[in-house]
Amino acid sequence: MVEAKGLYYRYSKNGDYVLHDLNFSIERGEFVFVIGASGAGKSTLFKLLIREIVPIKGTLKVFGHDLARMPRYRVPYLRRNIGMVFQDFRLLEDRTAFENIAFAMQVTGASRREIKRRVPYVLEMVGLLDKAHSRVCDLSGGEQQRVGLARAIINRPAMIIADEPTGNLDPDNSYEIMNILRSFNMRGTTVLVATHDQEMVNYLKKRVIRLEKGRVVADEAKGVYAGAL
Amino acid sequence: MPCSSFFYAWGEALRSLYRNKWMTVASIGVVIVTLLMLGGFMLVHLNLNHITEDVKSQVEIIVYIKDDATLHERNELRERLIAHRALAEVRFVSKDEALRRMKDKLGDVVEGYGGSADNPLPDSFEVRTYEPEAVSAVAEELARYPAVAKVDYGKATVEGLFKATRAVQLVGLMLMIGLAVTAIFLIAHTIRLTVFIRRREIMIMKYVGATNWFIRWPFILEGLIIGLCGAVLPLGALYYIYAASLEWVSHNLMFLSLVPLPLVMAELVKYLLPLGTGLGILGSAFSMDRFLRV
Repeated sequence: MVEAKGLYYRYSKNGDYVLHDLNFSIERGEFVFVIGASGAGKSTLFKLLIREIVPIKGTLKVFGHDLARMPRYRVPYLRRNIGMVFQDFRLLEDRTAFENIAFAMQVTGASRREIKRRVPYVLEMVGLLDKAHSRVCDLSGGEQQRVGLARAIINRPAMIIADEPTGNLDPDNSYEIMNILRSFNMRGTTVLVATHDQEMVNYLKKRVIRLEKGRVVADEAKGVYAGAL
Repeated sequence: MPCSSFFYAWGEALRSLYRNKWMTVASIGVVIVTLLMLGGFMLVHLNLNHITEDVKSQVEIIVYIKDDATLHERNELRERLIAHRALAEVRFVSKDEALRRMKDKLGDVVEGYGGSADNPLPDSFEVRTYEPEAVSAVAEELARYPAVAKVDYGKATVEGLFKATRAVQLVGLMLMIGLAVTAIFLIAHTIRLTVFIRRREIMIMKYVGATNWFIRWPFILEGLIIGLCGAVLPLGALYYIYAASLEWVSHNLMFLSLVPLPLVMAELVKYLLPLGTGLGILGSAFSMDRFLRV
């Protein structure tokens, strides 16, 4: 599903590489934590995965497509197959939970009928059906992140990428978010989570790829968040 | 574009205009003010042009005929004038008519001249050219005709008039271009601002897999609506202002001939409507591009 071979990236021509010779692959249906200190390269890796940026060297294949060779016009179709979850939620705050999720469906050209049918279903999956018509700015942080999760799953993506999804949440909400991600994964969606949250990594006991200064320093099948980071 | 996306684009454009209503009002306001200024100036410019063209079109050449010219020569001159391509109008003025006109104008001063026997005025042709600017060249040409004694077209006055009208037209044109450029900048920047305020929304759309055109359409339609409202309202205002001006001028400055209302409106619609809507659309489309590179 994801295959990185000798992957390098730097933001400016003469700057240091922020990703150094990354080699890993992720299979369909896996749940993978990407851990590392700030500046380790987690967010850069995620930007590469959604082709916000293009590798300087090496190859990165997602769903079998080499992203460096992917024409720009194909990028939206790649992203429809990847659900994104962000630390700062990135929701449209002046709209309701329903509208935020529907928005991701409208983008794909879905009909009104499909939207009316599917959005409540997904809202129920994240336990927010009763808040469907509340404006996002009136929801708590945990609820907002659940809207983010619902938006990520709405188009039945093959993979969900979550960048510090519990970074702004208290422990109770963090567990809830992780449980929802796990439930998505159990339905067959591949999940990649970048996190600092030691407790969550240890709680789920999933594969852990550890980045340090842009290099993969550990890749364990049932890893825990160990060592000083 | 699929049907659902078409309706989405229109719905989204209208919703977003409502959602950002203060920005919408501000943008339309800017378009109205700038186009009202530009339209107002166009009205003045059109009328100045009209008046100067009117004055210029009254310029005529008087071709005096030699007293000793034979009938044949006179007829030949008449034929040549009528056949001349640059001349729009040729009228014969006999020496008697010339005297009568002079008497009408000067009254007692020419009282002594009774009949045609002691009339010193020559027969003449009064001619008008199609192009007022061609007067000088045509006059010089006519002066060389055999039966012509002299031509007169008030050289200094006419040349002065042409210089003045050229200056008025040039200054008017420059001012109008200046105003149009200001309007373009003001409108484009206001629309850029509305797009900038919503850059987060654009970024989120990109992350959920929207194509660039899917994102662009609602913004373009918004630009179109802002431009259209911003152009139609000044057009309406200018219509009433100009109609009232025409009414006032027809009662108070009867000698002044202004461009008729339908012609003026046709000119204003021709320029202001495409300018307003075009700027709305282009302003939106161009200001979004840098936010689409996510």
